[in-house]
Amino acid sequence: MNSITAIAAAPSPLEMGRFADQNTPLVRDCWYVAGFSDEITRDILARRLLGVDVALYRTLAGEPVAVRNRCPHRSFPLAKGRLDGDVLVCGYHGMQFDPSGRCVNMPSMPIVPTNANVRAFPTAERGPLVWIWMGDPDHADESLIPDTSWLASPGWKSVRGSFHMKSDYVAMHENLLDQTHFPFLHPGTVGTPEFARSKLDVRQEGDVIVIYRSLKNAPPPGIYGVPMGLMERRVDRFSEARFVSPALHTAYASVTDNEDPSGKAEVYRFNITHLITPETQNSLHYWWFNSRDRRLDDEAADEFLRSASEQAYLEDVDALEWISETVNADAEPQFDLNFAPDKPGLLMRRSIFERAAAQQARAY
Amino acid sequence: MKGQLIDVAVAGIRQLTPRIREYVLAAVDGAPLPRPAPGAHVELHTVSPLSGPVVRHYSLVGGAGLEDDAPDRYRIAVQREDRQRGSAHIHDTFAVGTRLKVSRPRNNFPLDLRDSRSLLIAGGIGITPIYSMLRSLVRRKRPFELIYTGRAAEQMAYADDVARLAGASGRLHFSGETAARHLDIRELLLRQSDDTTVYVCGPAAMIDAVHAAAGDLGWQEGRVRSERFTAGPSPDDVPFEVELRRSGRTLGVGRDTSILDALTVAGIEALADCRRGECGLCPLPVLEGGERIDHRDSYLSEEERAAGDTLCICVSRLRGGTLVLDA
Ligand code: FES
Ligand code: FES
Ligand SMILES: [Fe+2]
Repeated sequence: MNSITAIAAAPSPLEMGRFADQNTPLVRDCWYVAGFSDEITRDILARRLLGVDVALYRTLAGEPVAVRNRCPHRSFPLAKGRLDGDVLVCGYHGMQFDPSGRCVNMPSMPIVPTNANVRAFPTAERGPLVWIWMGDPDHADESLIPDTSWLASPGWKSVRGSFHMKSDYVAMHENLLDQTHFPFLHPGTVGTPEFARSKLDVRQEGDVIVIYRSLKNAPPPGIYGVPMGLMERRVDRFSEARFVSPALHTAYASVTDNEDPSGKAEVYRFNITHLITPETQNSLHYWWFNSRDRRLDDEAADEFLRSASEQAYLEDVDALEWISETVNADAEPQFDLNFAPDKPGLLMRRSIFERAAAQQARAY
Repeated sequence: MKGQLIDVAVAGIRQLTPRIREYVLAAVDGAPLPRPAPGAHVELHTVSPLSGPVVRHYSLVGGAGLEDDAPDRYRIAVQREDRQRGSAHIHDTFAVGTRLKVSRPRNNFPLDLRDSRSLLIAGGIGITPIYSMLRSLVRRKRPFELIYTGRAAEQMAYADDVARLAGASGRLHFSGETAARHLDIRELLLRQSDDTTVYVCGPAAMIDAVHAAAGDLGWQEGRVRSERFTAGPSPDDVPFEVELRRSGRTLGVGRDTSILDALTVAGIEALADCRRGECGLCPLPVLEGGERIDHRDSYLSEEERAAGDTLCICVSRLRGGTLVLDA
């Protein structure tokens, strides 16, 4: 009897690999964005990241600091305290913590307790972003912070925005790797029917999943054609999107205008940076940048790109929140169907699943 | 209060040097143990037939080389003291399968993740927390320098592993059988950059020397961090008795036991948190024997100590005889 149960319970060798979903433990050993650099100031900011409440501030020298937003004495949220120089002072009984989290004073005690630290999280600033490591601090190698150097490069101009979303980060990444929704969810901005039918290629480079496609002699998409003044032209298009890490998705697009009056082909490049940090298992923080390498000083282009991007992302926010509501409210489970265009999303979900399974589930 | 102890069993024993043995402790329920940060230690609770309950503090080594131990394991290294003390009890009686209890990790010696450069100095068995710091620095690719001193290579636990892990940034220093070849600490500190933080663990004399050298050089306090087990045993510790006058009970306190532990074992619940003479929760009123108290806490004021009518039962002891408590 027992052995039969055991055999029945063992996974079939034919069963496919496992895929992450909203219930998969969050990947913690990863650099995530804690906020735009200018969000982290001398005013203490409280933000929940990967389910943990974090207090973020800057030292007098300008370094970003992240500590648990919970006093080790009586759980008072430290962000509701104040800064005294670089020292964070708890608003309840005045315990003081230096930027490494060490207690440097407990006013109601005759001595400084040596074991009264608040957990500090490794942080690093790169251009307009502050990154944070919520996992095992021993593995917080700064060389693992993904490249976003175009956000700080003089050759590029960026517009940006941010959202809070009630959806999980796996669904968000899947949405970003899914271009077949463009003509339906974003008919006014990014979707053009010709592009949607062009062949999409997928490749996996380690943990990175790349999708790319190109189309010759086609009308440009409105989001780039309008601000660059190319709507009347036929152009060659190339686009590539990458799931870089659980924290980052980047999209690159180029539009080549072969009909430029100069007689030379003119290339317009765009980089879109999507930064995703789970707030909880079922909600996330989302920061985006739309960067271009042409017409850097064109304020009308700034405004157009900002509002068109915002509109498209708001459509994604709505869709993902509706899906999340449906999945979580519906009493009858459903196994979603997959089609060929879902391959990049499935590769990403497998990658996140494997990373989550590899990390140790431990208290700190 | 964070008194929660965890049941573990000895899962592996390895002789590292003639006097130092490594013990791998595994959670009895197989569940992951709390992840210790570099520099953390646990209290190890066991009972010696000779001196009763024994509580010792051991730094967590964390793994081997760059590898973490499995999540349900802790690794400690125990140096046998010369006398018949707690460590001797551990060496003599611990075998694979021996059950004991450990506390959650505590950290009085945290490695600052923000350090731009670290200097690690280990002396003898003081290598255990330094080893876990080294692993963290190597993994995070942080610049560091490491000096590990001991009399001779054969007496230095993990000497090969540490040297390999530290690579060109590490150095072993052999002081010789009579410990005559001293490490030149002043010279070592002098050539550090201004942004270096120093972590030192080892014999008290070495820790004092590093603090003194840093002081001489006008270094800002806080640039040298050290681990001292002030609550640790001293060779002169003797057993004594505690009479609890109100409850009408008398208990023996062994050489390796604190008053707090003796009370706990006897089923008497006393308030305590830090167990290292800092938090001030545990002091009890003394009725008799106050003149023989050896105060080892850092909480009570000089006047309170001199008055002899209270003591921190987690660390302070009696120089023999009977202590009468109002409890
Ligand atoms: S709760 Fe922060 S000092 Fe008491
Ligand atoms: S338990 Fe903290 S001083 Fe004794
Ligand atoms: Fe979309």
